Amino acid sequence: MTTPARLPTRFDRRRFLQGGAGLGALGLTGGLAGRALAQTPALDMWWWGEQELPGLQAYLDRAIAAFADAQITPMLQDTAVVISQFQTAAAAGSPPDLQYLWNGIYHMESVWLGYLAPLSDLMDPGVLAASNHGPLSRFDGKTWRMGWYPLPMPWYYNKDLFDRAGLNADAPPATWDELMAACEALKTAGVEPFGGGVQDGYWAEWYLTHALSQNLDTVGDAVNLFIGDLDFREPRYHQHWVKLAELRDAGFLNKDMASLELYPGIDLCVNGQLGICSSIGTRLPADATATGGRIGCMTLPVFGQGALAGRPVVDMQGLGISAGSEAPDVAARFLEFLNAPEQLASFWEATGWIPAASGFDDSVIADASVKDVWTRWGKADNRITNITNLMPGQFYEQAAIPTGQNIITAGMSGEEAGDLAARVAQEWRNFNPDLVEKYQAWAAELSAG
Amino acid sequence: MRRNSPLLPYLFVLPMVGLLTFVFGLSLVRLVEFSFKQVRGIDGPWIGLRNYDLVLNQPLFWEAVGHNLQLFLVIPVMVVIALALALLLYERLPGWRIHRTILFLPYILAIPIIAVVMKQMFQFSGPVNTVLSALSLDFLVLDWIGSADVALWTVMGLILWRETALGVILFLSRLMALDETLIEAARLDGAKWRHRAWYVLIPQMRGVIEFFVVISAITLLSAVFAYVYVIGGGRGGPGTATMVIELYIFNALIRTSLPGVAAAVSVMLFLVSLLLVWALFRVRRRGAD
Repeated sequence: MTTPARLPTRFDRRRFLQGGAGLGALGLTGGLAGRALAQTPALDMWWWGEQELPGLQAYLDRAIAAFADAQITPMLQDTAVVISQFQTAAAAGSPPDLQYLWNGIYHMESVWLGYLAPLSDLMDPGVLAASNHGPLSRFDGKTWRMGWYPLPMPWYYNKDLFDRAGLNADAPPATWDELMAACEALKTAGVEPFGGGVQDGYWAEWYLTHALSQNLDTVGDAVNLFIGDLDFREPRYHQHWVKLAELRDAGFLNKDMASLELYPGIDLCVNGQLGICSSIGTRLPADATATGGRIGCMTLPVFGQGALAGRPVVDMQGLGISAGSEAPDVAARFLEFLNAPEQLASFWEATGWIPAASGFDDSVIADASVKDVWTRWGKADNRITNITNLMPGQFYEQAAIPTGQNIITAGMSGEEAGDLAARVAQEWRNFNPDLVEKYQAWAAELSAG
Repeated sequence: MRRNSPLLPYLFVLPMVGLLTFVFGLSLVRLVEFSFKQVRGIDGPWIGLRNYDLVLNQPLFWEAVGHNLQLFLVIPVMVVIALALALLLYERLPGWRIHRTILFLPYILAIPIIAVVMKQMFQFSGPVNTVLSALSLDFLVLDWIGSADVALWTVMGLILWRETALGVILFLSRLMALDETLIEAARLDGAKWRHRAWYVLIPQMRGVIEFFVVISAITLLSAVFAYVYVIGGGRGGPGTATMVIELYIFNALIRTSLPGVAAAVSVMLFLVSLLLVWALFRVRRRGAD
């Protein structure tokens, strides 16, 4: 049997002083550290984008570590909840300080609900303007979002397949008639001419991006279609769906288009199994490398009469500051920090893609295809924004995507698609009377330029 | 309180009832409240029955209801197949234990996992059509998930495959618990297998069959989200061919920023599910009588 060691019971003055000094030192050290921590604000940042731009997380981690003015805790969000999670947190009074924001309505609704702070009141105006946030980030005379990285939206065509079909790979079709002729030539050469994958719906959205705009004169016209000032039942506003049905009826769409998702559909074009498909610029560096530069980029051939027809589309991802942030000035400093030249270079290094800010030194772009798309899309004077960013979510889910899918898979006509779109637009107005007024004001601003 | 007090049992369950009331009851109250409001964010103005009116007058909602009802066609097929398999297993065919495990396997796999695998298999250029073509069965080569006419039937096939497993296990458990003397007597009287099954076994399984039917109805009404989400490209597609009520609720809440509408449909779905549970109890009580 063992006995426990006796604890010292003597507590003399010497021990008391030693203990007191120790506690004092501990308190002083802790106090100083705590004070230092208290002086460094803690910010939360909710973000998204790693799936469309691999390397973004590595870049962000690096940027956060290099930013000395705040302790930033990033949280990568799931695609399905990027908006709803932020809006719910904002409504509950505990939003993140910094929030990833998609373009247009995807953040404008949060502006209208009072969940976002105007960046034009917080950031250096020059830095904010140089971030190329685009027109859909403005409302009520203020800018609510900073541009982070651009998404040029070209149509890919496979140059090897064009060669095989006897087409000029350096002069892709520019008009609808030329497109139909090119598709015919590809089909005759045993190549599936046009399409991709529409199973997850995004192809239908992208088609609208390029095709609906062809009969619009201003970006604001798109909003007018939803608020009822213009009507999808008018032939010019559903001509794009008529054209899609034309491609279907001519047998030019790839046969597995309905069961493939967007990116596997693009892979078909990259792998030499499909002539022409809709794509996104962030894919281009990898796709150009994979094909030895045999992927060409073009705009959707023109059929429409609108002022926006045939113009390159560039979407823009961005960041904003929550109205509920306790340190909006520090958050704004972080956004400015992301636009510093060394951070822009770090972005390029980590992602292999181009940041939005004008301060980026684009002479580092070595790949000819990427340089070409950056010149003809990213820096084009006549570029337009992605008009599907103006669509209310209800229209997007219940009309934009179903119409495209139904035309391709269920024999829907362009006119029927126009009827469905008009009905869903009316339903959206019935379901959201409080938003219609905001949309009207937005349309007026956008139409005014 | 005396040990034989009639209130004592209620006292024992009171904490759990309190907890459940707090967790579910409060949510339910808020759900009903939301259904009468135009919610933006986490609250909004009172609008009476407008959400219900909007939903009940929207063709997409009725299309979703129709698809849920179409899914109900799976129930009789599930019952027949599950019953047949359970009876075969009950006869202790060689290797019946392994067969039982294999049959139950789909049920323990998460729905998204099997749905993703099935989606790959049923793509137009996928393995299923490749095999069918190789067997010269080209008339069966369909766009299983890409055709608006076929996609919901593909979902039904997947549901049938997975949910039947539960029926097999339920039925087999009931069969194992039956009094063997009755079956033995029938056997001695010269009753063949199908006669024993039809006249002796199945009548004694009425309760569990009814239970399985009601459980399946509730599942097909309110627990098929994962199936249609994966097979329908996350949107109930192609078009709206696989849109069901749950996905309608999800879209209203998450994608179209209409929590009030989502709440109104949820309340209606809850009431219909309650009706089915009530029907179950009524049927069982009648059986007991």
